[in-house]
Amino acid sequence: MSELMTDTDRPILETRSLAKRFSIGSRFSAEGRRTVHAVDNVSLSVRRGETVGLVGESGCGKSTLARCLVRLYDITDGKLLFEGDDITSKSLSELRPLRRRLQMVFQDPSASLNPRRRVGDLVAEPLRIHGKVSAREITARVAELFELVGLLPDHMMRYPHEFSGGQRQRVGIARAIALNPDLVVLDEPVSALDVSVQAQIVNLLADLQEKLKLTYIFIAHDLSVVRQVSTRIAVMYLGSIVEECPAEEVFATPAHPYSQALISAVPIVETTPAGARKRIILTGDVPSPLKPPSGCRFHPRCPIAADRCRSERPELKEYRPGRKVACHFPTLT
Amino acid sequence: MILSVRDLKVSFRTHDGPVRAIDGVSFDLEESEILGVVGESGSGKTVSLLAVMGLITDPNATIEGSIRYKGRELVGLPPRELRRLRGNEIAMIFQDPMTALTPVYTIGWQIAEQIRAHRGVSKPKAMERVEQLLAEVNFPNPHEAMSRYPHQLSGGMRQRAVIAMALSCDPALLVADEPTTALDVTVQAGILDLVRKLRAKHKSAVVFITHDMGVVSELADRVMVMYAGRVVERGTRTELFSDPRHPYTRALLGSIPPLTGEKPRRLPAIPGSPPSLLRLPEGCAFGPRCPVRYEPCEARKPGLGASAHAAACFRVAQA
Repeated sequence: MSELMTDTDRPILETRSLAKRFSIGSRFSAEGRRTVHAVDNVSLSVRRGETVGLVGESGCGKSTLARCLVRLYDITDGKLLFEGDDITSKSLSELRPLRRRLQMVFQDPSASLNPRRRVGDLVAEPLRIHGKVSAREITARVAELFELVGLLPDHMMRYPHEFSGGQRQRVGIARAIALNPDLVVLDEPVSALDVSVQAQIVNLLADLQEKLKLTYIFIAHDLSVVRQVSTRIAVMYLGSIVEECPAEEVFATPAHPYSQALISAVPIVETTPAGARKRIILTGDVPSPLKPPSGCRFHPRCPIAADRCRSERPELKEYRPGRKVACHFPTLT
Repeated sequence: MILSVRDLKVSFRTHDGPVRAIDGVSFDLEESEILGVVGESGSGKTVSLLAVMGLITDPNATIEGSIRYKGRELVGLPPRELRRLRGNEIAMIFQDPMTALTPVYTIGWQIAEQIRAHRGVSKPKAMERVEQLLAEVNFPNPHEAMSRYPHQLSGGMRQRAVIAMALSCDPALLVADEPTTALDVTVQAGILDLVRKLRAKHKSAVVFITHDMGVVSELADRVMVMYAGRVVERGTRTELFSDPRHPYTRALLGSIPPLTGEKPRRLPAIPGSPPSLLRLPEGCAFGPRCPVRYEPCEARKPGLGASAHAAACFRVAQA
């Protein structure tokens, strides 16, 4: 079937029932060995050129999933395919040629840049590791990358601490795009930045995507930023995707009760009297991924939970083309 | 009038020369009013409130100006006197609840300690009050929560415990410094709701510091926007959000991606980054990033003026 698809239809990255579990504790600890179900049964496909936004609250598994997608974590269960090629259990040396096509940008740019090295050097590093190019070519490429991300050529000789947060994130982005990747996984790339700088980086990412034909997986907890950059959005709760659809739809007409609560909770600037917007306030906390609830994992906090939700776990079902919801009682208009 | 701050200036001596973190901040706060203070990192929003709380103990700091709490001058007040006010009449909530809680005592013990220190009541009486307070901040099982240690609670629950502690002595003034920044939006919504209810019930005045314009718009009665240690705009919530005047306020509001409606192809970003307080420009601190700057902006710093809705900008004054 894949032969019949055109290049743009074929997913560049695909997961099938992907799961990541961590073991914690030891035989000798009070609770014994336990398993954290960080990511559970995630099937997601990413098409070339689109931006998939992963949203959810802390502990929902979005960062773990991101790390699985670039194989920074080993995958416990399920499959990960890159351009149809199964890379779930490829060895590090088999992965190396793939790494250049699959890059990642992290939240805290100061933690991901070596403080003892000049930023020009840091950006050149991936070029040295992956490309067998001459020193002259590397210098030229670094200069080109600096221009692409909006840094000045004389910044190359500086150290990371001499930069502001926004500039450091530009360096992080330059490193990620140095090898002309196809797919970049961005894990909270603007969360640590001031609002006025956030917009600059969001614009930069959009420009780069257009220029370099990049595919993004964009993870953020800030829903308005995700909406701005994404073409499609997957909402995660406790390790699984509860809703997946085109970006506009999830904001205009969220179908899963969790998505509804999440979107209604975002404080927005309004000129009408405070509290005029209808807000769904969830009770309780996100349950521990050590002992996920039975049935639908959202049922203990769900305002519309019924008996069925307590026993039977809803599957992520496609109700309309491109509109997937994991709920027994979705609000579909 | 609960609080009246006049021409507050805070500067620190550093290796690289003096840093003026706060440069002439004035504001008033009435009973049961919520004042939102917005600004980016380094804008001085936290330092100005630390000064109000008398929590700047750095020997390199100089504080000038006047801070009057219920008519009483706080600047220069002996630490003993200040301690009597803090935690009792003036309470504070910080961004990270773990900094306000000790990990080695239970939640119940910690809140009770504060009540006993300020009110001199017996331990069982204090514990009774703790249970009431925890119920008030929506702990599902307050009695059980009292015997929990901070690490056994989630981030949202810890912040609720800190709020309970802050409310333990019915403060007239509550200062909240980014209390929801580390929390998830659904948890944040609950905390904001709580602050609103508590204001109504206890008639406390609240100063709410945040970088999130959305939060301010949901909660505050009046808003103060800060940039590089100065107030650049102040007004009521409605004035500020329906008619923002300072170019910085306008740009900041414009750079937030919308959650509804048409999405812009590009976000109108503010060029550059906030200035270093060590190298502030001669004139308006926002000048170098401002789209409407002209000659006067480079020579002098614009003042805020006296009107209720005011912006510190020559362009606004001219219009």
